[in-house]
Amino acid sequence: MFIIDRQLAGADKKLARLSTYGGIIIVLALLPLLVRSPYVVYVFTTTFIYIVATVSLRTVTISGQYPLAHGAFMGIGAYTSAVTAKLLGWPVGLTIPLGGVAAMLIGALIAYPFARLRAFYYAMVSLFFGIGVIQVIFVLTKWTSGSGGLVDIPHLLPSTSRVPYYYFFLGFMVICLFALWRFEYSRIGLSLKAIAQSHLVASSVGINEVRYRVLALSVGCFFVGLAGAGYAHYNFTLSPTSFDFLASMWLFIYALIGGLGSFGGPIVGAALLIIVPELLSGLKQFIPFISAAILLIIFYVLHDGLISLPRVIGTWYKKGKPGTADITEAS
Amino acid sequence: MVLTTAAVVNTLLISAMYIVAALGFAFLMNVMGFINFSHGAIYMLAGYICYQLAVVYGLNLWLSFSLSVIIISASGLFLERFCFRYATGNLDRMIIITIAIILILENSINVTVGAYVRSLPSFAPGILKFLTFSFATDKLLTLVICGVLLAVIIGFTRRTKYGLQMQAVSQNLEAAALQGINVHRISAIACAMACGMAAVAGCLMGALFNLSAFMGDNMLVKALELVILGGIGSVGGILFAGLLIGAIDAVVPLFSSGAVGQVIGLAIIIIILLFRPQGFFGREFE
Repeated sequence: MFIIDRQLAGADKKLARLSTYGGIIIVLALLPLLVRSPYVVYVFTTTFIYIVATVSLRTVTISGQYPLAHGAFMGIGAYTSAVTAKLLGWPVGLTIPLGGVAAMLIGALIAYPFARLRAFYYAMVSLFFGIGVIQVIFVLTKWTSGSGGLVDIPHLLPSTSRVPYYYFFLGFMVICLFALWRFEYSRIGLSLKAIAQSHLVASSVGINEVRYRVLALSVGCFFVGLAGAGYAHYNFTLSPTSFDFLASMWLFIYALIGGLGSFGGPIVGAALLIIVPELLSGLKQFIPFISAAILLIIFYVLHDGLISLPRVIGTWYKKGKPGTADITEAS
Repeated sequence: MVLTTAAVVNTLLISAMYIVAALGFAFLMNVMGFINFSHGAIYMLAGYICYQLAVVYGLNLWLSFSLSVIIISASGLFLERFCFRYATGNLDRMIIITIAIILILENSINVTVGAYVRSLPSFAPGILKFLTFSFATDKLLTLVICGVLLAVIIGFTRRTKYGLQMQAVSQNLEAAALQGINVHRISAIACAMACGMAAVAGCLMGALFNLSAFMGDNMLVKALELVILGGIGSVGGILFAGLLIGAIDAVVPLFSSGAVGQVIGLAIIIIILLFRPQGFFGREFE
């Protein structure tokens, strides 16, 4: 009886959660009909792309690796797709997956030697790798146009309006998030989390550490490459500075703001840090200050990221007055 | 021959700048275990404060240089107390707070001063002739300042009471605290010194080259390269790595474009680190 009750409660919870997700997707699908501003549609489409990039970064971090080169992998995907589509004239439907595959291959190639390094050293070496990738883009000026930026990239959809792009990237985001979610909650994802907690214990129970870390980075890079390729054919221009060291840091920041501990965290973080500054501020130069303010709030108040906001409010509510909280804890 | 002397002088000059900036970075990393990604932004801010005092307010250049270093060092105390102390030992939190500082500083400069490239007046204009070679005086002076500063810093850490306490804290924080060392005070001193060194590098760099709001990003990467390559906790390692990276940065652009030099330098660093993750002379960072 008790078990059935619990199962029923679990089913209820699952239903509630699914209906929440469905509701969010329906609201997002109706948004272009309600808000007629092309700018809002543009901001939201960019957000969808960055959400995929940020969540794919989380896929790497659950294996205990700090990828500070993820922005560079986005650049690899973007430039691969843009250059093959523009200079070789390949159809865009083919080059976008190609961008993902290129990022995945390079990710897998560097993941093998980099698997020697852990934690801080991995973060630093991947950071240097990311800077190196940007410099390679500068070196290959013949194809990538270097610092001048690549312009006139073939369009993804035969439409001048932004609305079809909005629906395309909404669908793209839903599919990618579902795939990454399935990956994380599969047996492989469990092994990755085990490696992150203790690589010695994980390898002693038969988890091949190097193979799983390579797999995590490959999957993460594939999706970030796809996102980058989509970004290229949506913006029609590319510049290396969109993928430099600070861009990689930003992807990490998006994930941290939302909370790296849960799947929803990076989604919330990316959405907040892209949409709020863009919509609040009329003056472009003041956007970084709003971002900095959000970062400081997370740093001093919400230690586990924005996703922990309901929990923090809940504990405050339960504790009542802040003064009495310490006494109850002590007793 | 002229090209060789130019290459040697440039190597030493660039190396000296990198070493002074990286030494400050390494101080914080050693003593507090804090990776200060905003080191480059602090370095940039020092250059602009010096510019503001010397060019806009018309103060003596040396006075404004000293004032800039003092102001930045004092702000280092503030940063340690209210920002860095809450982030030690957690890479996630280090990244959040330092990126916030980078955003605030770089964009404050960008909004107020503007994105135009500025330059400080030269500290010592003129040319020094020695045998058949001629050197720019300000470059030599920069080298001298960096050399003296390095000697002072090394003397401080090896000889004085606070320097020895700093070494103790960097070796083992708990044991040092048990011996009665005030760990927070030592961290504050280390942070002030780190910011001061960044300030010296920023002012000198602003006089030799240009000031721009985003010049710190490049220096941050160089400081990271030096510290990681030389090894954490080793001053000699930083000197060696500084000379190596300075040589790569000064010599390779003579033969090819700057980007190629960067790629070669980064490739060398990555390959070295794959085989010796702790750097040339360092210990493991936990």
